[in-house]
Parts: sequence; C-alpha cells; structure tokens
Amino acid sequence: MIQGIIIYYFGDAMVLLETKNLSKSFDGLKALDNVNINVEKSKLTLIMGPNGSGKSTLINAVSGFLKVDSGKVLFEDKDITNKEPNEIYDYGIVRTFQNPEPLKSMTVLENILISERHIGEGVINALFHSKWIKKEEEMVEKAFKILEFLKLDHRWDHTSKSLSGGQMKLLEIGRALMTNPKLIIMDEPIAGVAPGLAHDIFSHVIELKNKGLSFLIVEHRLDIVLKYVDNLYVMFNGSVIAHGEGSREIERVLNDPKVIEVYIGD
Amino acid sequence: MEEVGKMVELISLILFFFGLYMIVSLSLNLEFGYGGIPNFGKALSVLTGAIIVGGILNRLLIWYFGVSGDFISASSIACYKLTEIIIQNPLVGLGVFLITIAMAMIAGAIVGALSILPSAKLREDYLGVTLLAISEVVFFITYYDVRIIGGYYGISAPDILAFIPGEYKIYAYTVLAIVTGLIIYLFLERLLNSPYGRVLRGHRENEDLIKAFGRDIMKLRIKTVALGSALAAIAGVIYVFYSSNVTGNAFTRVEWTFYPFLILLLGGKGNNKGVVLGAFLFVLIRILIEFYKFDIKELLHLPFEAVWIQYIFFGVLALLVLCYRPEGLLKEKPIYTPPIKSKLQN
Ligand SMILES: Nc1ncnc2c1ncn2[C@@H]1O[C@H](COP(=O)(O)OP(=O)(O)OP(=O)(O)O)[C@@H](O)[C@H]1O
Ligand SMILES: [Mg+2]
Repeated sequence: MIQGIIIYYFGDAMVLLETKNLSKSFDGLKALDNVNINVEKSKLTLIMGPNGSGKSTLINAVSGFLKVDSGKVLFEDKDITNKEPNEIYDYGIVRTFQNPEPLKSMTVLENILISERHIGEGVINALFHSKWIKKEEEMVEKAFKILEFLKLDHRWDHTSKSLSGGQMKLLEIGRALMTNPKLIIMDEPIAGVAPGLAHDIFSHVIELKNKGLSFLIVEHRLDIVLKYVDNLYVMFNGSVIAHGEGSREIERVLNDPKVIEVYIGD
Repeated sequence: MEEVGKMVELISLILFFFGLYMIVSLSLNLEFGYGGIPNFGKALSVLTGAIIVGGILNRLLIWYFGVSGDFISASSIACYKLTEIIIQNPLVGLGVFLITIAMAMIAGAIVGALSILPSAKLREDYLGVTLLAISEVVFFITYYDVRIIGGYYGISAPDILAFIPGEYKIYAYTVLAIVTGLIIYLFLERLLNSPYGRVLRGHRENEDLIKAFGRDIMKLRIKTVALGSALAAIAGVIYVFYSSNVTGNAFTRVEWTFYPFLILLLGGKGNNKGVVLGAFLFVLIRILIEFYKFDIKELLHLPFEAVWIQYIFFGVLALLVLCYRPEGLLKEKPIYTPPIKSKLQN
C-alpha cells in the first residue's frame, strides 16, 4: 500500500526485470541486437512486432533456453544472464511456450499439476504418502479451479494430445497460473483462443497483476490485449524500435510512422 | 514319475528366471518406461551385482579365512569354508545374502549414477549408444581379465542356501527370486504412484517443459538411474548365488539389456503390471523354445541351426508388437494419487 503511494508520487515504478544490450546471433542473423527493456513490478508489459522480429528469442534468452552472445539480464538487480531454466524458475520467473508443449500422453490434470514443484518428487519422500498428500490435495483443488476457469475441467482425465490447438494453448496458461511466481512470461498466449475466453483470461491476468504479479507478454492480437497493457515495446529485426508507457504514450507509439511501416512492410 | 519330476523342475526354472527378469525389467521400466531414459547399459548393472559376489565377497572371504594361493583357487576354498558354516547355521547364509545385496545395491547405484553423467551433453539416441558401449567395455574387461571375477575361467560363489538339502535348493532359489521380484514390484508401485512418478513421466514426454518449471533434470536422471541400477544389481547377486559360480560371459547385452527392453515393449512400458506379465511370457516362451528347439526344428524343417530359433522368434515378436500393439499388452495408466482418485469417484 505504502509502496504504491510512493510509486504514485514519484512516478518511478520498481523495475523487476531488465535486459541490458542483449544480443544473440544465429549464423550471422542478428535475432537480438542490443535489446534493452524494463519490466516493472505489477505491470503488464507487451512486446509486439512482425513475425521473425526476435520476440520469442528474447523470451528464450530471458528464461534460460538460449545462451546470449553478449549483454545482461537482471532480475531484481541480480544477474541471471545465461542461467539454466530451472534456476531461473527458482528466481520466480515462469514462462509459457508459443508452440504448446503438452505432455502428450499425460492427462490434462497432470499437465497442470506438473508446473508446481512438489515435496513428493523426492525418491524417499515419494514412499511416504503422509509427507506429500496434503500438498497434493491443495494442488489438485487449485488445478481444478484453474481448469474450470479455462473451461477445460470436463476434460481433466483425458490425455492432453486429445485437445485442440486452442485448448493446448489454454493448458500453457493454466500451468503458469498454477505457480506462484513474481513474473509470468507468456509467448502468444491467446493465439487461437476464442475472443470471449481471451478477454476472460486477460481479466484474470489483471486481477493477478493487482495482487502484485508482473507480466511480460508477446501477442499479435492487439484488438484484444491493448486495453490491458501498461507498457509497450515494438521490436523489429532484433531491435526495439519504439517504446511507450501509459495509454497516451502507447497511442503515440502505435501511430508512429516507423511502427506502421514495419507492419505494412510485413 | 521321472516325467513329473522333470516337469516340476522345468516350472521351477521358469519361475526362477521370471523372478530375475521381473527385477531387471521393472528397474528398466523405472528408468525407460517412466523416465524415458534409454538405459542400454542395463546389463552393466546386473554385472555389477555379479562382480560384488565374485570379486568383492570372495575377496572378503579369502581375507577372513586367511586362505592363500591364487585368486581363483583361493576363492573356491574360501567359498567351501563358508558353505560349511552355513550348513550348520542358516542365519549366516541369510546374513551374507543381505550384506551382499546391500553392497551390490550401493555399487549398482554408484555405477548407475556415473554412467548417466554423459547424458548432460548427449541427446537421447547418442546417450543410448554411449551406455551400450560403456556396458560392453566393462563386459569384455571382466571376461578377459581373470583378476576381477575369474574371467573366462569363472569363479565359485558361496552357497548361501547350503542348509537346504540339494534336491530342494533350486525351489528355494526360485522362491527367493520370486519374492524379491514381488517386493520390488510393490516398492515401485508405491514409489511411482506419486509426484515422483509424475515428474519422471514429464521428463520422458518433454524435458524442456520440466526444466522451465524448475526441475534439475540431471539430478532427476542421476537419482533415477542410480535407483534402477541398484535394483538390477540385486538380480545379478541372486543369479550368481543360484549358479554357485560366475563367468564373465553370463552377462551379455542380449540377455540383460535387449531382452528387458523386449519385455517392456511386450508387456507395456510405463505399466509395472504389464512388465511383470511381459517378463512371465518372455521367460515362459524362451525356456520352452530352449527345451524343445530340436523338436521345433525338425517339425518345421527349419533350414538353420536350432539355437537361432530363439533370436529369430523374439526379433519377429518385437517387430509385430511395434507394428500392431505399440503400447504393449497392458496400456499405461495415468498416475492417480489419492486426491486425484477421489476426484475420479465424484
Ligand atoms: N534456434 C534458432 N536457430 C536459428 N535461427 C533462429 C532460431 N530461433 C529463431 N531464429 C531466427 O531468429 C529470428 C527471430 O525469431 P523469433 O522466433 O524470435 O521471432 P518472433 O518475433 O517470435 O516471430 P513470431 O511472431 O513469428 O513468433 C527469425 O529470423 C528466426 O528465423
Ligand atoms: Mg515468436
């Protein structure tokens, strides 16, 4: 509360995640070229840009799935550059994938449950039900709430390979919602999701945001997401070409001839 | 009467190997069926158990009884001395058995953990080949270097069931193998119907996803293969005690790596019950072929040596299963932990 007031007065939000001159090439192709972005606490930061502009590459670099050539990633002022994905999760960062990554022959419920680490995963602990059954009960309850919200609950016991493409995307979101991170990174979360549900998802995102969670989102469907965005970056050919914070600035960025041009050129 | 006796012996033999293959295949099911880790070095962990008896237990006995001479003949003297004691005192036999099992499990776990380290750098298929190669190298060294377990000469093992009269001993070993197999089955069912089983399957389906959600996949692999190898080593120990001697060439990749994979394929990987069923059918067919191979050859006018029947049969069987029933006899089931089970009833 107090922090909120201070931020309001000084207009200087707390930076949660920061990239500094992040660069990455694939055989000479500069997929990231000195990218600098800030993700502020309790804000929704959107990255847009035409196909192939480096958005997913940026997410992969931040989440440890790609090693960068140069530059730094800071999270809460700690250097997390090129750490392993599981270490990055430990810092409180969770990500979803642009191409859904279902555990195909496992059930929808299991696919959601897998996203939270569990005391019952230890070889010794697993043998003693009393050690993990309580946690498991809580997780199953939470998972069912999420599945209901995503309208997947009727399919909880089906294998995830039986889901449609859109439902698989929802599963990706469900996993992220299951955990309690500080930052959720989502790569095109609502591609292929019906508009009604897409708005529901973003209302939920806003609810979580108001509770202090932060979001870094890549999305093409501006018609749906734009009204939820606090902070906008536009990428093209591996570089950030425009940035705006707050609705007026965002409006300006969207009308920026540079931005319009890259989209027309696309 | 003799016919009946032969029949009983045959059944006992089938059940004994059923016990052993149950142990090894279940351990492979943990690693590969659940975890997706292609442990083509399975024979190595069985061999580890054998080395613990022939190479370590024998040396301890030689030292304990103060026997002198070369390793192979000193071993048979030391084993004989222990056998004499066990005839008088069955508890000693039991104690030696349990201590040997414990040593074999520790050694198996270490060998398993070390052998999986290359997986940090290798993709699945290369990993399988690497494990196969490591296993083969150790196999040939133990076969040609007589100092480890007597190599091609073989070496004696103490008779831990010496207190049981000769004609019943094979049945006693059968019970021992089956009971051990069942204990391991119950242990693994309990172990794997848990979040651990879930994360293992997750690892099999998609390593990247598991990493993204905070799992250290190297740790997961190391502990899983360490456990799987520890369990498989038990089979090596029982086999050697049963044979009352060890030769390096008993632990081939065909017997203890390929056949366990075939059992998984046949029974249903990821399903422990299926693997038990697969192990039983495999051993049954195999021993029957072994017994009747000359009759089969004659009956079918086969144009090749009788010894090949087994390999050809199992090769064809593997292909048929892969084509027509890739999930095996019993399909994998989701993991229902108690809270999930109660949702199922609602
Ligand atoms: N692993 C890789 N190896 C080689 N090139 C890659 C790799 N990953 C991405 N690229 C290239 O880097 C560039 C940026 O790709 P990226 O996937 O980050 O784009 P994007 O902005 O996410 O596009 P989209 O909107 O289509 O998802 C593209 O030219 C792509 O072909
Ligand atoms: Mg992308």
